[in-house]
Amino acid sequence: MADIDKRMTLKDAVSKFIHDGDVVYYGGFQIHVPMALTHEIIRQKKRHLTTIESSTDVGGLDLMVGAGCVTEIHTAWIMNWYVKAPYAIRRAFNKGHLKRFDISNFGATTAMMAGFMGIPFMPIRGNIGTDMMKHNQTDLREVVDPFTGKKTTVVRAWRADVAIIHAQKVDRLGNVISYGTRGVTDEFGANGAKRGVIVTAEEIVEPEVTRTDPDRVIVPYFKTLAVVHCPYGAHPSACRGYYGLDIRFSQYQGRYERHEELLPAFLDEWVYGCKDQEAYIEKYKSKFGQKGLDLLKPKLGFAPSPKMGVDYGYHDPVCWKGVPMYTDDRLDAFEKALAAKKGGK
Amino acid sequence: MANYKLTELMTIRCAREISDGEVVFVGVGLPIMVAAYAFATHAPNMIMLTEGGAIRATAPQALAITVDDPAAFLGGDATFGMLATMAALQRGEVDVAFIGGAQIDKFGNINSTGAGDWSKKESFTYFAGSGGANDMATSGKRVLAIMPQDKKKFVEKCEYITTPGFLGGPGEREALGMIGGGPDCVVSTMGVYRFDEDTKEMYLAEFFPGQSVDKIKAACAWDLRVSPNVIETTVPTEEELKILRALDPTGFYLG
Repeated sequence: MADIDKRMTLKDAVSKFIHDGDVVYYGGFQIHVPMALTHEIIRQKKRHLTTIESSTDVGGLDLMVGAGCVTEIHTAWIMNWYVKAPYAIRRAFNKGHLKRFDISNFGATTAMMAGFMGIPFMPIRGNIGTDMMKHNQTDLREVVDPFTGKKTTVVRAWRADVAIIHAQKVDRLGNVISYGTRGVTDEFGANGAKRGVIVTAEEIVEPEVTRTDPDRVIVPYFKTLAVVHCPYGAHPSACRGYYGLDIRFSQYQGRYERHEELLPAFLDEWVYGCKDQEAYIEKYKSKFGQKGLDLLKPKLGFAPSPKMGVDYGYHDPVCWKGVPMYTDDRLDAFEKALAAKKGGK
Repeated sequence: MANYKLTELMTIRCAREISDGEVVFVGVGLPIMVAAYAFATHAPNMIMLTEGGAIRATAPQALAITVDDPAAFLGGDATFGMLATMAALQRGEVDVAFIGGAQIDKFGNINSTGAGDWSKKESFTYFAGSGGANDMATSGKRVLAIMPQDKKKFVEKCEYITTPGFLGGPGEREALGMIGGGPDCVVSTMGVYRFDEDTKEMYLAEFFPGQSVDKIKAACAWDLRVSPNVIETTVPTEEELKILRALDPTGFYLG
């Protein structure tokens, strides 16, 4: 196997693999939101992006829309829950700068599952009878079930050009290890991406380590374009086992999102003013202190490790060499008689 | 009589709608608080499902702030993801779909997409969107909703139907092939509502202490029907409040 080292800087990952006009799968939900990548996309002033995801919290997508990077979104739910609204998205929609296509959560998940499976559309129970059906014919249609003749709602398959996700661990080849509460659709949205996946992770592990627990891999290396070592890459959302949700920072950021005239100041200070994620975290420490980060440390049930040992052990099939076939008189007699009958014809 | 907050009354009243042993799909917001309280009191055998994908037979160790909060997953029974919990809904295995919203109409349709006319883009005020509420209300056996109430929130017809109630009236859900039974109970900031079996219209069943039928009718944009057996909601006991408050020590949900 070719050992291609895909590690690179956040800056290189975004400049090489995200192009203006791309459809981007936006990872996470209320945790594992790819915030470091969000900031980098804003810094590099990417334009006319379309995003697909099922639900996304902590205002990452609100910032991207507010900064003018995203002009079309397909979603079930977007806001910064800690200020209770998607303010920049609301303003962009009102001004006609943003096209928005609404669908239910499972509608979005199903659309990405269809993309993941490489099929054109998939049936779904929800959405029928609502205004989402009326206003989002781009994603939702009614067809006749060929088996029963009944009306059935279907969603179009969603496939991004490129996916951006955050995970706990990744190896240099790009095997992505995500566990616990990984959001809801990263495996579908990422694997369904046409060009591939950009992943930021808390830790880089050796491929030999990944291969001791391959059940944890949600994206295999051949789908991965870029690997970025990025501690706190999902902040202020959570990364299970590493840090919890930073409610206070989300509220702080949300108060900036709320006011059109204030948002540029937030972007100047926290995004344009920080050259990378490390600088963003340093900025956090200097403004709000190390204690803010310390509060996020896992305390409940996160450590040390599951009590149930998982043994992937298996026998070596070579052990069958030289072992005669199992048989008995009845099987032998039956097969012999059958052969004689066939031979007789 | 015990002193209590409105959020506490609403939570305790909502919890009474959950029977022990039921499969409850818990939406974001106060429903999380209600589930924690139901687990701690009369429904220890409840099965809790979340959009984030947690399936659990025990109460979370810590109060989850959202439905995808690791706290909802800690010590869960299965944490496969949204695919598993939403698929359970689509298979018709969820007894109670427990949701919130921003606006509700007389047939129990819910709007969580935005205020105004969607086609007039310049004036439409976007909220977060459906999330899983639409999926939950389409396929859950019965829907329990918790809503703020005033004349703009209790309307004749939702400005945008995000989540189906009985749509335009009797028979419409069935005609569209929905497997869920539709809205069963709404708990607002003023009282408790149920739905007429024949007309599918929402009617007032209980008013909260301090409210009256007249006040509630004035905070409703259509001519609200009132049950001939309307009653005042039973106030929470000291014991109930003690259990509830211990579950939300920071007042995140209860204030």
